[in-house]
Amino acid sequence: MTDRYTVGGLLRGTATTIAFALIIVPIVIVVVTAFSPNDYFEFPPRGLSMRWFAEFFRLENMRNAFALSLELALLAATLSTVLGTLGALFLARRRGIVAGALQALFLAPLVFPTIILGVALLLLYKTIGMPIFPGLLLAHAIIGLPYGFRTVLASAQSLDPALEEAGESLGAGPLRTLFLVTLPLVWQGVLSGWLFAFIVSFGELNTALFLTGPGLTTLPIEIFSYLQFQGSQLVIAAASTLQIGLIIVMVAAIERIVGIGRIIRGR
Amino acid sequence: MKGGWAWALVLPPLGTTLVLFVGPLVYLFWVSLHTASQSELYGHALTIQNYMAILGDAFYLAIIRRTLAVAAVILGISLLIGYPVAYFVALQPARRRMAILLLLLFPLMVSNVVRAYGWVAILGRRGVVNTTLRDLGLIDVPLELLYTTEAVVVGLMTILLPYMVISIANTLASLDPRYQEAAQALGAGPVRTFVHVTLPLSTPGVASGMLLVFLLTLSAYVTIALLGGPRSKLLVSMVYDSVTAFQWPHAAALAFVLLGLALAATAFLLAALRPRRVQGAGR
Repeated sequence: MTDRYTVGGLLRGTATTIAFALIIVPIVIVVVTAFSPNDYFEFPPRGLSMRWFAEFFRLENMRNAFALSLELALLAATLSTVLGTLGALFLARRRGIVAGALQALFLAPLVFPTIILGVALLLLYKTIGMPIFPGLLLAHAIIGLPYGFRTVLASAQSLDPALEEAGESLGAGPLRTLFLVTLPLVWQGVLSGWLFAFIVSFGELNTALFLTGPGLTTLPIEIFSYLQFQGSQLVIAAASTLQIGLIIVMVAAIERIVGIGRIIRGR
Repeated sequence: MKGGWAWALVLPPLGTTLVLFVGPLVYLFWVSLHTASQSELYGHALTIQNYMAILGDAFYLAIIRRTLAVAAVILGISLLIGYPVAYFVALQPARRRMAILLLLLFPLMVSNVVRAYGWVAILGRRGVVNTTLRDLGLIDVPLELLYTTEAVVVGLMTILLPYMVISIANTLASLDPRYQEAAQALGAGPVRTFVHVTLPLSTPGVASGMLLVFLLTLSAYVTIALLGGPRSKLLVSMVYDSVTAFQWPHAAALAFVLLGLALAATAFLLAALRPRRVQGAGR
């Protein structure tokens, strides 16, 4: 069906060009601006410089926000993946109403309006007096849970049950079978789930909006408050570019480990 | 994983979701049914007054109408652009299709605040559009493009567009091409084949794309705050404002009105876009 000279082909080609321009150009402008030597926003910038990256690491609040976001993403992704893996291994071979309900529950944070979850968690934390850091960590872990769950579930469902049965019939107990047979076979799913949960936590806005506090702010929220209250300083472009750079590294890692196609089809 | 001990596996994730997801929402709903209090988070008396105050107030009804109108425009444009793009993607050979989908997936991982900042850089007073128009001598005074409802629509639409494209493209790519071949063999032209065969078969993808875009529009507070002005506030902005004003029962009720909107739209979209039988009436 190569029909690039038909009306339909022309329509599809035009729409695709417009869509990619609208999606990619704003991101490209941010990245190019980050290397600007100018004092104020000017596009295209006159020359190249790293001054705004230097400024980013000189500013204590930016540096702290970056460190907090990294720390949160590492811990939250690990927590999400452990919980998601447990749930996925349990549900991989189960059918029925209970299994369906559990699966829906573990995937719910994916489509649930996270801003409402943010309000609900803030209210709960205020009631029980939860400190900021563990509160943020648990919120990020819940939001990352569906990613860890879904990728491990896909891996576990494609697993041949005979392998686990072989482990058990050769005398391995359930725990040994889990660690020596099942986990080595689904590790690709576990690792790509972790990377996705990391990415989601690193860019999280809607719960962090309510749960961060004075002196303890994540990078996306720091960028947001800079944009709201200090105008568009170019250090924001550098902060954004660091965010984008880290994501590119993570996506490259996912692509090497499992191939991104599986994730897209699993959507 | 079999046997009774396997239930031990599911307890940690189940417990966590119950305590940190279901529990807080139930508590939030409970608070929304209480009176306000000066000294505590919420008062002791039960009431539905918080909901009545929102649904009986012309101000909030106007905000709800504006939220639905903005969401409808975003849905309409993203479907209009997204469907042909998804069709284009689905027609590509498998390897190139994966490459394009990866290129669409990547922007979704970039934080929305960064993508909204890109639009601030384009639409602002010193932004790309205004400086280009000024250099071309077309304007003397910068146009006020930012802090408008149009900026919110453009920004949110482009931020969410990849969801629409990926959902529809996955459905289109998994369609059996023999359906289209059969229609054409029976004498249908490309337009009739599209309207009567391809389009009805792709409704599951359209439904999930529209759902994702709608639900994410409802909670996109940061994008709205950065690109919109005081007159383009949506329901989610009201939720945020009432939380920062510590009006807990009111904020909780607003959050559940927002959730009600999300659930109603989900039910409506799923009912309206049920996968239909291709052969139509003559069963």
